[in-house]
Formats: sequence, structure tokens, C-alpha cells
Amino acid sequence: MSDRLTLEPPELGPADPRPRLTLVDGVVLASGSRCAACGHAIAVVPPRCPVCGGDTMEGTSFGPGATVFTATILRIPVPGREPPYGLAYIDLDDGPRILVHVIDSASDDDGDGDGVAVLPLRPGGRVHLAGWTEHGDPAVRPSPADREDAP
Amino acid sequence: MTTETAVWGVGTSLFGKQPQLSAPELTWVAVLEAIDDAGLAGASAIDAVYAGTVFGDPGVAQRALQSIGVTSVPIITIENACASGTTAFHEARLAVESGRYERVLALGIETMTAVFDGAIAPIRSDAEGAQGFAMPSIYGMSATRYVHEFGVTSEQMALVSVKNHRHAVGNPRAQHSRTVTVEQVLASRMIADPLTLYQCCSIADAAAAAIIGPRRSPSHPRDVPIRSSALRSGKLWDQRSSKVWGWDIVAETAALAYEQAGIGPSDVDVFEVHDAFTIGEIVTTEALGLCELGGGGRLVESGHTSIGGPQPVNPSGGLLSRGHPLGATGLAQIAEIVWQLRGEAGARQVDDARVGVVETMGGGAAGVDGNGCVVAVLGRS
Ligand SMILES: [Zn+2]
Repeated sequence: MSDRLTLEPPELGPADPRPRLTLVDGVVLASGSRCAACGHAIAVVPPRCPVCGGDTMEGTSFGPGATVFTATILRIPVPGREPPYGLAYIDLDDGPRILVHVIDSASDDDGDGDGVAVLPLRPGGRVHLAGWTEHGDPAVRPSPADREDAP
Repeated sequence: MTTETAVWGVGTSLFGKQPQLSAPELTWVAVLEAIDDAGLAGASAIDAVYAGTVFGDPGVAQRALQSIGVTSVPIITIENACASGTTAFHEARLAVESGRYERVLALGIETMTAVFDGAIAPIRSDAEGAQGFAMPSIYGMSATRYVHEFGVTSEQMALVSVKNHRHAVGNPRAQHSRTVTVEQVLASRMIADPLTLYQCCSIADAAAAAIIGPRRSPSHPRDVPIRSSALRSGKLWDQRSSKVWGWDIVAETAALAYEQAGIGPSDVDVFEVHDAFTIGEIVTTEALGLCELGGGGRLVESGHTSIGGPQPVNPSGGLLSRGHPLGATGLAQIAEIVWQLRGEAGARQVDDARVGVVETMGGGAAGVDGNGCVVAVLGRS
């Protein structure tokens, strides 16, 4: 079983460290900030820039497009989760690198979340933010031209 | 003027899943062997203790040491992921070098079977761990990147496991003392694509120890001089990073250690490095300067890093086969290099080993290029 995709925003507690996504006009974006001095982008909003020390971190959002830095499929049991599931580090366009789950719901024939293939992603491939897993993790789908079985 | 330092003695328990042994019982074996090996009159000769552990309970070092008489002295416990033991070693060396203490025990203790049924559970308070990002994931991702970027093959990765298992056959303390073939490695079950089970270290219980003091005399038969040691934490690992996680921290820490020792990587006869996963040794040998970026797969394939080759890596069997009891690993690596440099490594002895390097790095990704890395250079000039 792999992850199921949902567009229902999860209720993440204040201490939940995972990247935050927002749904804006049906488009999924990642929240974060950009340093007004050096332009460094980051998926949180720290009081000062970790790169240049500048104290103007402007809240913004990134995505939905991103490029895969690298990916894997994890196949061992992890408490509270059912393997296997796909994981990727993605570089959001002009934005930060974040860890996401990979969901290929295009392979889910009847749309019930079962039988979803876990997809190997190649570095350099294009993905887009697609929503959340049922556990509240940020999730991406491969962009159509970058599916493994694309012609 | 700083004091020249040396490892006076080392000791370890056996490595493996040993749930029948407590942390104190494992520690007694390692520490008493190290005390005897160092030629100390007894435990009361120890001035201070630096202990590394990752999942040890609070106070584990004091409780383990009290019954063998290491009491009243300062005992400082360090957590620095897989580099906890080598961080304890580094701090012990600096304490002697600066004249703060004279005879310091560096100790690593880990009883992982007491904490985990299977693999290490992800830390839920970091952004990666909260997503179910278990340790094999980051190494699977490094492997994916290396296949894509440098054409590293599954066979080359498997060869790291084959080599380190073969080396461990000569190590009576090792967790996995049996040979495996490339076919067996690749046919074992997939853990984190493209890494299979035999490319991942197991959990283990063990303790390891070293006594560090001022170099007693240039001709002392037991002393192994510490030429240098360096410790760094990772810089930010983010969208600006083109290298896989952990490459830069190892390269930067190694550069410091080589510079302090006045050597380069070609001067090193034997290495003990962090190979928790096969791809880790490939990445680390590059970062330590044994070959160029992207050349680590071809390096292992060439036999360069096998016992009998020009620069053997992990003659003990490494983390993959000797075992990886996290906090104890760094001191186990130090012990192996001490035995190698004294010519006491038995069936796995590297010929004419005069200079040895230990490298350990660890931590999850979570935005930084590793929580910590230690590189140490041992041997006579
Ligand atoms: Zn800045």
C-alpha cells in the first residue's frame, strides 16, 4: 500500500515540523519565506536569514512546480505507516528544497486510493505539489511528461 | 606548547545483537580491556571520561562505570549521531592536548536491541522524521542520485558489501562474519530503492573504549600517536547543494584533519570509514580524497580499497559487517586502526600500515549536511 492523496488540508499541531502547504484557488503551494537582502528561500519563516543574517524574511509561497533532486521508495515498516511509499527531495521552482511524498494517483484506476503504484522518480524530473497524504505529509505527483511509463 | 597525544590502549566488546547483555556488562569488557592494553594500574588512574551514546538512557555512562571503579572523576556524555563515539575521542584528545587531563577514557556505549525491534524509528520532531523518513531513505536517495549522475552501478554498490563482509571474516568480534556474493547482495530484499538488505547495516549492541594520554616516549611500543582530529557539523543542505547529503561535511572535515597532520589522502595506508549503507562508503571514499567526485564506484571495483589493495578501507568489516552500535562505532573504528598500526590485526592485518584514518559522520538530513563528522589521523610520522 502506498500513500493516498487528499486535498483536505490536515490539522497539523503547532509543533509539527513538516513543510506547510496551502490551497490557493485550487492550486497547492508551499509556505515559507524569502530573505529581502540575499534572496535565500526557505520553507519556514525564521527571524533572521540563515545565510546572510538579514532580519527581513518575507513570508511567501512557492510552487506548485518543482524539480526532483533525488528520490527513493522506502519499503521497511515505520511506526504508524504502511510501506512502501515514495519519497523525494524536490527543489521548488525558485524556492527551497523540501522532502515530500510521491503519489502517482494516475495509476489509481477507480480513484479509491487503492492500487496506487509507487513510482520511481528520476533526478531532474518535473513534479508538482498535489496535496497531502492521509498522514498530512506534503505530496507531489509527477508531471505528465515525466511519468516512468510516458512514451 | 601543546602536548603530543597518543592512544595508550583500546578495547571492545563483541558486536551484534546481544540483548542478554546490559550496557554495564558490555562496557566492563571494553573498558577493562582498554585499561589493561594501556598498561594502567587500574580504573583509578583515569582522570576523566568522555562517553558517546545516541539512544543510551540518561546516566548510562556513570551507571556502567561505577561497578568497575571509575567514579568521582568528571564524566561527560555526548550525543552526536553516528559520530558520538569519535566526538568523545576528539574531545578526549583535546583535553589531553591542552593539559586539562592526563589519562582520559573515551567510551562508546549502545544497546540498540533494548530500544528498537527493527530499524531505527524516525525522530518525529524533525521535518523529515515526521514524514516517516527512516534512515535508509537518505542513503537510498544518495544512491539514486549517484546512479543518475555518475552511472554508479548496482554491482559496484554491492561490491562494497561483498568486500566488507569478506574483511569481517578475519574479525572474530564482528557481527556478520561470512562472505556474500554480488548476486546474493542484489537478490536480498529491497529496503530503500536501489539499496537492498545486505547493503544496509543492522542494529547492534556493543561498547568500545580508548585510553588517551600524552605520548609516553617516541619508542613506546604500545602508544599510537594521534596526528590530528577534526570535528564539524554540517552546513545548510538545501537547494544550493549539488552534492548528495554528507559529501561536503566529510570533505571539509577531512581537509582540516589532513592539514593538521601534514599529510594528504595518498599518505594513508588504511581507513575505517562510515559505511552504514554501501553508497555511504562510495561517497565517503570520494570525499576523503581517495578518488575524484563520482569515482567511488570504480574505486571499489578496482580492488584499491580491499585488503591487499593499495589503500584498504574498513578492514574490520566496517559498519556493514563488524556492526554499527551507533555511539560505540567511533571507538570501534579507533580500536581497529590502533590494532592495524601496531600490527595486531591478525587475519585482517594490512601490510606495513603506518598511517590510519578514522571517519564517522551521522544525523538525518533535516536541512543540514549531517549533524556531525569526525576525521582523525593516527600513526607515526
Ligand atoms: Zn539572506
